[in-house]
Amino acid sequence: MRDLLDEIMQALRHNRLRTALTGLSVSWGIFMLIVLLGLAGATLRNFEENVSSDSSAKISVWAGQTSRPYKGNREGRRIHLRPADIATLKEQHKEFVSDVSSIIYCNYQELSGGSESVSAGPEGVSAGFIGRQRFTKLMAGRDINAHDIAASAKIMIIPESYAKTLFPDIDPAHAIGRRVSYAGLSFLIVGIHDGRWDRSVYIPFTTAMMLVENKDALGSMEVALKNVSTMEDGEAAEEGITRTLASVHDFDPDDSSALWISNSFTQAMQGRKAGSILQLAVWILGLLTLLTGIVGISNIMFVSVRERTHEIGIRRAIGARPRSILTQILAESVAITVLFGYIGIVLGTAFVQLLAFFLKESDGMSEPAVSLGMAFQVTAVLVVAGALAGLFPALRALKVKPVEALRDE
Amino acid sequence: MIRLHDVNKTYPGAVPLHVLKGINLEIRKGELVSIMGASGSGKSTLLNILGILDNYDSGEYFLNGTLIKDLGENRAAEFRNRMIGFVFQSFNLINYKNALENVALPLFYQGVSRKKRNTLAMEQLERMGLADRATHLPGELSGGQKQRVAIARALVTNPDIILADEPTGALDSRTSADVMDIFKTLNRDTGMTTVIVTHDPNVGAQTDRIIRISDGKIITEA
Repeated sequence: MRDLLDEIMQALRHNRLRTALTGLSVSWGIFMLIVLLGLAGATLRNFEENVSSDSSAKISVWAGQTSRPYKGNREGRRIHLRPADIATLKEQHKEFVSDVSSIIYCNYQELSGGSESVSAGPEGVSAGFIGRQRFTKLMAGRDINAHDIAASAKIMIIPESYAKTLFPDIDPAHAIGRRVSYAGLSFLIVGIHDGRWDRSVYIPFTTAMMLVENKDALGSMEVALKNVSTMEDGEAAEEGITRTLASVHDFDPDDSSALWISNSFTQAMQGRKAGSILQLAVWILGLLTLLTGIVGISNIMFVSVRERTHEIGIRRAIGARPRSILTQILAESVAITVLFGYIGIVLGTAFVQLLAFFLKESDGMSEPAVSLGMAFQVTAVLVVAGALAGLFPALRALKVKPVEALRDE
Repeated sequence: MIRLHDVNKTYPGAVPLHVLKGINLEIRKGELVSIMGASGSGKSTLLNILGILDNYDSGEYFLNGTLIKDLGENRAAEFRNRMIGFVFQSFNLINYKNALENVALPLFYQGVSRKKRNTLAMEQLERMGLADRATHLPGELSGGQKQRVAIARALVTNPDIILADEPTGALDSRTSADVMDIFKTLNRDTGMTTVIVTHDPNVGAQTDRIIRISDGKIITEA
């Protein structure tokens, strides 16, 4: 092995400039591949993060208006989702429904604490709601929990800006434990969310139920799914929910305007599929770029074999078997490809890190990064590429007859 | 050591070229012989066949009792490596390998370990008086030195015969004489069977026997 390496190193050193120039094209190909993969990976990771923080296994349902007559009802009838639907869905679809929740929007009224006040329309939400949000996150305190829901607790989570307004003298985080009043009730502040994009005030769903006048109408419902893993599962769940609500509210299950449904699960699946297509596209692009490099290496190996015809003849004359020659040419090709490929990997990784540094603050992308797994994949690609590049020149070298040694240059 | 019986060789083509027309030849162990002939006489083809670099069409060639006929590439390579030491007119050293590496190369193809290879190669270089040139590249050596490195390479596998193709063709007369001295000394001291192909009568004259070839036939075997 070491002998083979020595042979390769000697041959490459002998043609330093040529080797370097050819190798550069491979470096460039790999550099492109790494950068593309790094960026694509960052985009995909960003997508994954959003999907997971959005708790993707859910279906949101909004009430709409019928567009066709059904069972004696005229078209154009408004559908009203009711709190009872929550229990019905839970009951009838135990196999895939893990939870059903709803958001109840309370009226805008004065929300006061201490000497200051703001106008707020609290949203009644289910347990763990803040943790599932994309556009805000808890800064201090806690989320709404199942106990709050069960007890219809009079607790509240407010955005940081409200905390500042209501309690101007203290740090927003210290507003936790303070009391505010809304609609004549006293609420305990248990959490502060950052509220950069979302300035909602949150209270437990059951508490909100007590506050609204029309206790029988829900604006929307959110069905959390379980035991779903395929696209078909997601579609079946959507179908089941539609049919159940159609029979409860007497509308045609095929009437697409009676309910507005957003199936985050199938959307996420589609997103992932799109992601893997993107990844594939990147690999194909990268490999095509690399192909240019491979063709270069192949070319240079052809030149090398041609130039060294006499040398190969000498080697054959003094006892080199055809296989030794084949091995040597292939190994040289793989060595050039891997060596310069790694230069490409190093530069590409450095470049990706640099990008990561500048893109840290941007929203469209997570930090681009080069993973170890990717490096292994790329190495495999390099070795195969090198062998491929050397194959035809090596076969050409095999045709060199030992008699060549006797021919004078 | 070498026995050829009715060896024929024809190069195919539009007009087939019958270059060797029934060669019969015997070279005994320990002989120092020269093969002489004009260009186109079939001298080079005969050398190729003797060196197992080329096949022949009919007849028989025994080298040290082994029939050399229709060998595969691998067998031919092995026989060349073990039985024959080549010395060429243009030295045929690999120009990016130093003297020691060049001499050791045949052993590399035998799978001999690096350490043993270098020891054996060094011994041969010492024998040629080139121990101090071991790390020099061929480009840094004179013609005579290069040919001595080539001879060391031919000897390193301890072959049955040395086949030299115009070994003095690229050298001046003084160096030629030195190289011939080496062949003669080798032959006298170790009994190395040596076949020198040449068109130089002076070289031929220094061998035990001159085999003359003309138009694909051996005309004298004096």
